[in-house]
Amino acid sequence: MAGTVRQVNAENTPGGAVRRAAPFFLSPEGLFYGLLMASVLVFVLWPIAAVFLQSVVIEGRLSLAEYVHLFSNEAGLLWNSVSVSALTTVLSLGLATGVALYLTHTRLPGKRLVFGVLMLSIIAPPFVSSLVYIMLFGRRGLITHQLLGLNIDPYGWQGVALMQTAGFTALAALLILGVLHRVDRRLEHAAHDLGASSPRVLLGVTLPLAAPGLLVAAVVVFIRALSDFGTPIIIGGRFTALATQAYLNVVGLFNMPRAAAMSIILLLPALAAFLLYRRILGKTDVLGAAPVLEHARDRIGLSPGTQWLLAMITWGFIGFELVKYATILCGAFTRTWGVDFTPTLGHLQALTADRLGSFFRSLHYSFAAGAVGALLGGIIAYVLVRKRPPGGKALDFIADLPYIIPGPFFGIAYILAFHNPPLALTGTAFIVVANCVYRQLPISIKAGMAALAQCRPETEAGARDLGARERQVIVDIVAPLMKPALLIAFINTFTSTMITIGAIIFLISPDTKVLTVDMFAEIKRGRIGEAAVLANVIIVSVLAVNLLFSWLYLRRSKT
Amino acid sequence: MTMFLELRALCKRYGRAIAVDHLDLAVGKGEFVCILGPSGCGKTTTIGMVGGFVAPTLGRILLDGEDVTGLPPNVRPTCTVFQNYALFPHMNVLKNVVYGLRFRNVTGKQALRAGEAMLDMMGLSGLGDRRVTDLSGGEQQRVALARALVLKPKVLLLDEPLSNLDARLRFTLRKEIRDLQMRLGITMLYVTHDQEEALGLADRMVVMNAGRIEQIGAPEEVYARPATPFVARFLGRANLLCGEDGRLLLVRPEDMLLSRQVGRYRGTVAHRQFSGPLTTYFVEVGLPHPLEADMLSNSDERYGVGEAVYVDWRRDLSLSDG
Repeated sequence: MAGTVRQVNAENTPGGAVRRAAPFFLSPEGLFYGLLMASVLVFVLWPIAAVFLQSVVIEGRLSLAEYVHLFSNEAGLLWNSVSVSALTTVLSLGLATGVALYLTHTRLPGKRLVFGVLMLSIIAPPFVSSLVYIMLFGRRGLITHQLLGLNIDPYGWQGVALMQTAGFTALAALLILGVLHRVDRRLEHAAHDLGASSPRVLLGVTLPLAAPGLLVAAVVVFIRALSDFGTPIIIGGRFTALATQAYLNVVGLFNMPRAAAMSIILLLPALAAFLLYRRILGKTDVLGAAPVLEHARDRIGLSPGTQWLLAMITWGFIGFELVKYATILCGAFTRTWGVDFTPTLGHLQALTADRLGSFFRSLHYSFAAGAVGALLGGIIAYVLVRKRPPGGKALDFIADLPYIIPGPFFGIAYILAFHNPPLALTGTAFIVVANCVYRQLPISIKAGMAALAQCRPETEAGARDLGARERQVIVDIVAPLMKPALLIAFINTFTSTMITIGAIIFLISPDTKVLTVDMFAEIKRGRIGEAAVLANVIIVSVLAVNLLFSWLYLRRSKT
Repeated sequence: MTMFLELRALCKRYGRAIAVDHLDLAVGKGEFVCILGPSGCGKTTTIGMVGGFVAPTLGRILLDGEDVTGLPPNVRPTCTVFQNYALFPHMNVLKNVVYGLRFRNVTGKQALRAGEAMLDMMGLSGLGDRRVTDLSGGEQQRVALARALVLKPKVLLLDEPLSNLDARLRFTLRKEIRDLQMRLGITMLYVTHDQEEALGLADRMVVMNAGRIEQIGAPEEVYARPATPFVARFLGRANLLCGEDGRLLLVRPEDMLLSRQVGRYRGTVAHRQFSGPLTTYFVEVGLPHPLEADMLSNSDERYGVGEAVYVDWRRDLSLSDG
């Protein structure tokens, strides 16, 4: 039996496999692939190496002095970063799980609104939560001072943890949602049938099966919290964290070796989490059988207590988010928030020619990064999946790294890697766009791979068999197949470039200023009205582009 | 026989679509009842309502004299064996089997002992610490049965439990399930679209179509005397003939007789299909469809394709309408 099976397999070698007549690297596509590989090495691996080198080579000599200093004198800083990030992770994960369960496992109303608010939250610029925190709970905050008449100092680690939680919960909820949808409902029914009450089904079956998703969400939130330098600056008061100090060491103290060493320390937990994450994603069979949507087998009914709990978590969070956007909108049209609440259009003067320049630069960079990122991601995905070149796994691994590299690390890395000839790029628009493209490359590649996985290589082999040349296969078969993936990659890279600050704040020069950096500066200066105007401009423009492209995407998938 | 499980005027609507339409069924204690029907006939919805997964639009379900219509699955004294087994991939075999005992008043030790005993009974001794994903399809099926039986449910519901297995395994497991049911005297409601399963397993079978019951009866009776043309055509193969007085006659292929000398129809063998014990002859007699006749393959009489034969039958059944 086994012999026949093997024989049959041998006859049907997948048609997608390339017949390598010439050595791969000498063919035109091999050379092209070599170029892509080189670009990933230059724009991902070399910057990481540059940070490492900077941290251990001090004044031309190998030295661990910076690390010794960090662990002996700055242990409190490490503790601050790790403890607050851990707290943020736990809080975000709890809220996000509640919201995701509300969407997947209840028949309660308002799901569209909840989903819409989650989507809005992941395309809102960073620090909006912090800005709103000052507006509502600050020394002259609307709620604490105006309504409750309190005079409290809200600046500290508590506020940092809460606002980071508010900022990251939406992303975590969407990640968890994707996995919860795939949990086989038949398993939940089986557990319920065997006597488990609905909360025990959720805790004993649903959540363990969704564990990979929960873990990925936890990793992403932890890394983001760890690399968030802005929130502690804005609302941390005397509280400070490692990422904040790394930022200040670059922009204020110009102590690059120390900033580099701090960045490396930031990278370590992220790297550990990343290795874990790749191992988990390799074992997708954890999720059990593929879900089958049977109308007779809907999700199990939850007990009233569970439903109340989920509803409270969800509407508590969504309520806060709605208040947040309402506050930002009002803040843009209020004379002096906290003192004089008369409406005004005066803050629109914040949109000076200089600011409009930043705005159009933001749009310009974002479109460029989106287009280049989508193409690059699509091509790399195609080459990796269909051509299986030598070294492909290593390339995939390296290209995946930026997903977990803390923003400040990636920014500092680019300064260090590209300020000397032959790669003297600092201060140019190119370096800003390149940073954004490679930062989002993992997602662009993943989108392409997912699109390719849905289509068997036999389709392309079929076209070749019918006489199509390689170029025609790409144009007629591969490109239409990957269009949705390219769109997703474009929207993602565009959006993240519009709202990012963590990495590019290190790379901009007066000639390449973008709107998020202007907004951060206004918040730091305490000019709430102006900051709110800029936040609204970013939110509205990102939302408009996202809606436009989602519409294009949906229209395409309907036909 | 006391009626142990009763479905009374059970209805399920999804929007305008009617999945189950006023279904009445009574199952005796220890009885093995099969619900048979094509896909979409409402059989899975019916078993879902008995198990508590699907809320009936109308009607009541009585179990052991108690109205269980509103009871959620976790407190209803029924257990379901699902089509794809629904084993928990994050637990090993033994943990799967004893999972339900956690929610009964059973200590951990007792539960483990009961689980081991159940594994022994199902021929799964020693597999307790295996991952369920490492088991073969047949073993997974046995684990799913063990997991349900260990709870001693009043009624065991089986939803197409063998449909994912190959033919040989299906045959073995069919016998095992029937043996188990006889040994434990447990009441079983078994849903399938496979007529061989229903005919071979059931004390009584229920044939469903479009949300309604077409016929209830012992397998032999339903097969020999289908109440409606739907049952006749759905269950087994049938030759439909026009009788002398214009009535529609149903003749099973195994009731056909072939001969070289005499018969009611004369025709030629158009095709011959050998299937092991039986050989089926397709005889062209001038009707829209050739007549099908099953002959024992080891009988002395053999007919070649193109040969002229007479066709007759020993038993027929007249159907009320076509």
